[in-house]
Amino acid sequence: MPTSIKMTRRDLVRAAGAAALAIGAPAIIRPALAADALKIGVLVADSGPAALFGPAQRAAAELGAATINAKGGILGRQVEIIFADAGASPAEVAKSAVKLMLSDKVEMIFGSHDSAVRQGVENVVKGKIPYIYTPVFEGDDCSSNVYFLGEVPEQELQKTLPKMVELAKGKTFYLVGNDYVWARTTNDKAKKYIADLGGTVVAEDYYPLGAPNKFENTVAKIKSAKPAIVLQTLVGGDNVNFNRTFADFNLSDDILRLSCLLEENTLIGIGKDASKNLYSSLGYFADLDLPENKAFIGELTKKYGDKAPQQCTISKGLYDAFVFAAAVTTKSKSLAAKDFAAAADGVQFETPSGSMTMMHRHTAKNIFLARCEGTKFTVIDTFAAVPTQQSCT
Amino acid sequence: MEALLFTQGLNVIYEALILAILVLGLAVVMGLLNVLNIAHGEFIMIGAYAAYVVQRAGLPYLLAIPAAALVCGAIGLVVERCLIRPLHYEPFETLLATWGLGLLLRKCVELAFGRGYRSVEIPIRGSLSLFGESYPAYRLALMAVAALVLASLFIWYRRAPTGARIRAMVGNPVLAEAVGIRTRELARNTFITGTAFAGVAGVMVAPLTPVEPFMGLTFIVNSFFALVVGGMGTVAGLFAGATIIGGLQSVLSAAVSPTSAYIAMLLISILFLWQRPRGLFPRP
Amino acid sequence: MAYFLVRSILILAFLILIPPLLGEFWAYQLGLYFIYGLAALGVGLTWGQAGILPLGQGMFVAIAAYLTAHGLLAFGSSPIAYLALPAASVLVAVLAFAFAALVFRGRFEQGPSFSLITLALTLAAFQVANGWSSVTGGFNGLRNIPGLPGLDGFLDLYYLIAILLGLSIAAVDYLLHAPIGVLWRAAADNERRLAFLGYDVAVIKAAAFATASGLAGLAGALYAPQQNLVTPDLAGFAFSGDLVIFAAVGGRATVLGPVIGAIVVGVLSAELRDRFPWWEIGIALFFIVVVLRLPGGLMTLFAPLRRFSFARTATRARSAAPGKPRIATSLSVAFEDVRVRVGDVTILDGLSVRTGEEAVLCVIGPNGAGKTSTLNVMTGMLPRRGGRIVIDGADVLRPQPAIVANRGVARKFQTPSVFPKLTIDENLSVALWAGRWRGLDVLRLGLFAWTSPLLEEMRRRFQFLNAGTRPASALSHGERQILELTMALITEPRMLLLDEPCAGLSHEETAAVIDAIQWARGELNLRIIIIEHDMELVRRLADRVVVLHQGRFLADGSVEEVQRNPEVRAVYIGGSR
Repeated sequence: MPTSIKMTRRDLVRAAGAAALAIGAPAIIRPALAADALKIGVLVADSGPAALFGPAQRAAAELGAATINAKGGILGRQVEIIFADAGASPAEVAKSAVKLMLSDKVEMIFGSHDSAVRQGVENVVKGKIPYIYTPVFEGDDCSSNVYFLGEVPEQELQKTLPKMVELAKGKTFYLVGNDYVWARTTNDKAKKYIADLGGTVVAEDYYPLGAPNKFENTVAKIKSAKPAIVLQTLVGGDNVNFNRTFADFNLSDDILRLSCLLEENTLIGIGKDASKNLYSSLGYFADLDLPENKAFIGELTKKYGDKAPQQCTISKGLYDAFVFAAAVTTKSKSLAAKDFAAAADGVQFETPSGSMTMMHRHTAKNIFLARCEGTKFTVIDTFAAVPTQQSCT
Repeated sequence: MEALLFTQGLNVIYEALILAILVLGLAVVMGLLNVLNIAHGEFIMIGAYAAYVVQRAGLPYLLAIPAAALVCGAIGLVVERCLIRPLHYEPFETLLATWGLGLLLRKCVELAFGRGYRSVEIPIRGSLSLFGESYPAYRLALMAVAALVLASLFIWYRRAPTGARIRAMVGNPVLAEAVGIRTRELARNTFITGTAFAGVAGVMVAPLTPVEPFMGLTFIVNSFFALVVGGMGTVAGLFAGATIIGGLQSVLSAAVSPTSAYIAMLLISILFLWQRPRGLFPRP
Repeated sequence: MAYFLVRSILILAFLILIPPLLGEFWAYQLGLYFIYGLAALGVGLTWGQAGILPLGQGMFVAIAAYLTAHGLLAFGSSPIAYLALPAASVLVAVLAFAFAALVFRGRFEQGPSFSLITLALTLAAFQVANGWSSVTGGFNGLRNIPGLPGLDGFLDLYYLIAILLGLSIAAVDYLLHAPIGVLWRAAADNERRLAFLGYDVAVIKAAAFATASGLAGLAGALYAPQQNLVTPDLAGFAFSGDLVIFAAVGGRATVLGPVIGAIVVGVLSAELRDRFPWWEIGIALFFIVVVLRLPGGLMTLFAPLRRFSFARTATRARSAAPGKPRIATSLSVAFEDVRVRVGDVTILDGLSVRTGEEAVLCVIGPNGAGKTSTLNVMTGMLPRRGGRIVIDGADVLRPQPAIVANRGVARKFQTPSVFPKLTIDENLSVALWAGRWRGLDVLRLGLFAWTSPLLEEMRRRFQFLNAGTRPASALSHGERQILELTMALITEPRMLLLDEPCAGLSHEETAAVIDAIQWARGELNLRIIIIEHDMELVRRLADRVVVLHQGRFLADGSVEEVQRNPEVRAVYIGGSR
């Protein structure tokens, strides 16, 4: 058997030198931009469990920046994006945020990632610059100089649950979710609404995050309990897995399902055979028949052709962040924390899903209840300007 | 209530059998060759993508099985030549190397197919009625196939000459070589068979799980524990491990809660690993 | 020793000079990687030295981080908060020690099972951290953790981390060169041999694991004030896996390797992640290349610098080892109707034999008679199914190699069992220390200077033993036999079990060995039990011969008596039995 040839030190030194050059190169080659460019750090999912949203997030952010720049930028300065990976551990992302602030000198940070990472970033930003957090989340966060554009459980559920009860002609609920804060908080708030409607919760099942979960047993229990509606707070692969298993056991004819985070990518995974009587309640769908949305999707198609990554509420939020920032700074005329905060309250801005209004650092927005048909969403109900009921001062 | 119990009972058997099929490839590679192939999940993932491609091309689903076996076998050939053999089949070294391999395979599939979910349609629709209760037909079919495959393998390994040669090579490689068994080829073929099995398992589970580049990671933990608890190198060990890890988790999940079941499965694995470090039915 | 101090000071100085040279952001970034490096340092120790691959060190980092977080939240601005650092590390180390000692007890060479246990634990710990929101803050973590009092900004904390890292590196460096380091490497090399010298191998391995976990605990304790946030992802497998990668890439067999691995891989990931979407492929390929081509990790590039390690030179003045209590009589052993079965095969079928007054007892018999098995069952390597074994008048119910060794039994195996990766001197030292070291002696470098009159005599008789820095793997078969015999003798046993001591020896070597054995027999109150085939040797050495056949006692007597015995002749020549 031939012995392996050990690499000589010279080989490795040469390789290291080449690598160093390759790493340094982009910095050297990056064209010099306008000296007074306003840099914004944008945290997107390039790795990790949410990495499937990465390309769409980048596309939406870049379109947002381009749109704002075409209108004169922010405070008269052209906006420049510096992306960073939000899919790593909170410590790593926090470090990226520190680098964005110290080395790249960004003046705002937009983030589309989970809450643990948000805590990490909040910890290092410490309110020094505006931090706009865009995705669906559990609410209950009032950190200073942080602005939340995403859907909170109250928005998703308050108006839609009564509609679901109407459609299902029943008030019994089965709750299935992942075992972590967003799911549990959403379910706690859901239980209040269900009680208000005179409904009952038949059972709650929570599945561990990151574990190889199998849903046959919950589906068996649902089959036996025969609720009217299954309310889901599952994420990622578990969302796909549960819904396919559910349909496999033939339950989708009689029992309606409402998911609190079912967007286009996950629906594709669920597949057309498993999406009957499956509903989603979100602030945005890529197929929304609104002129603002047609323009948004149109711009992306123009730029990327049919390679345009599938947009969803998670990615579109980053576009909103740019619109929001522009709207606030038009009023505040400065990026200083106090001015920004003062101007932000009550500001209304137009997004691909319609009008949004910032109230106490959360956003009232349109909420859409959509039914799945095949692998597409069909909006069956629109609730305008639903408030978040969060009370941050 | 009986209906629920019946369905849950079927679920337990289903989860045990499916886990056995998923672990089979690893049982061959790790149980017989002592190669800690932590990229095993990625071979399953590639098999699942092979099924997706075959289905998208409009071809019958059964064709996905040889397709996956071919692709995963080919990759296994390259891996054996470039990674496993230079490291002399040493367990901890191959663990590290296959770790890097797993990262690489995940990224390559991601670049080829994107990160989003792919949906593989179930080839056998509908349910069968058993004792008045309906159960999905595809799952039942899988259980039957799994049981058949495992039983045949058990008999083959005991009776067939190749099985004897493999047992000889595993037991005493030097002596096996001395009596004319070409251990290098046999080891290589065994490894390729292991990766091919993993690919076929991927075809089988593709309609049932979300298909995306990271799906392999969800299989690897349970696979390792099933093997180490059950015992490496024997079919009885494979059965025992799959039943304990897969079946027990299913029972506890129904009886208590999924999170408790998962933690319990981990603690039971620890107990077995502590008291029976070689597993319940190890290779003698 | 001087080299050790110089090197440690250089490392410390280098670490402290970084911030002024590279700026505040680098101080922050490196602070985090130094913390990873601390944890990776432990992984390198337990894996590279003791041969135990830990797949769950993240759990210990997490436990210490949560504990420290609570400590800081409780004691915020008072200096008591600093106690959290040693308290968390020590607590975690104690927990790790108890756990490892329990798992290792009584089991040899478990292979991957311990590693998988640590993996299972860390996976469970992640779920617990996620779910136990009241204590851990759940998925979102414990937040708003205050920093350590008196330290402002990134820079101050960096210096604390850097100093602690420097001290830890120095400490591990010292440990690896101390007797305990040799014992760890011996355990990784040949556990069975170590146990037969009387060492408690479980405790030795647990000590390695505990030290590694203490380092992980220190890392966790620093993590909490550095990040001001502790999230469950510390406990998951991803972080633990990263630590193993750092140790592998950097070089697990060295002290600095894992730390360098943590910094290089960490910085590369951070840089590449934000610039190239394909960085994961790069890391994967880089990692595979390191595993295939650079098994010693990046540190092999710095091999020439290793000349500056503080090797003990052979000219170190020798000092006398503490004596062992000398008991006037040798050990006796009695077998009463002992039965041993493995599977379907009966190995010992009611063996009854006892030692008498003879000093040298030779055990002979055809192949398969059960000669080696007799020694195995006496020392605990085979389970006994029936009968009694009595050593020196006391029943031995459950023999274990170390326990039997500490009664004064030394064993030399049929295939020479030494520590191939250790040097000759280290092999001899390990044997010499057995039973003589007390308490914290394992940390004293002075132990390397120990010698005994017996050892000196053996060195005089067999010159090759004086080339002390040669690895034992470089020895010929015959030399290894002699090395092992020497190691057995210098423990000054009361009973010496030899299994074909001259197998594979040249004529001269055989003569020298017999001479040495006879001399030793005179020096110590030694009973020797020899399994032999060579009748010439038996004739020269034996006071009494015992013949075994098919696991039973057949005959005994002097050499001539046994040779005249018709039953014995029948068995050897192949009679009708």
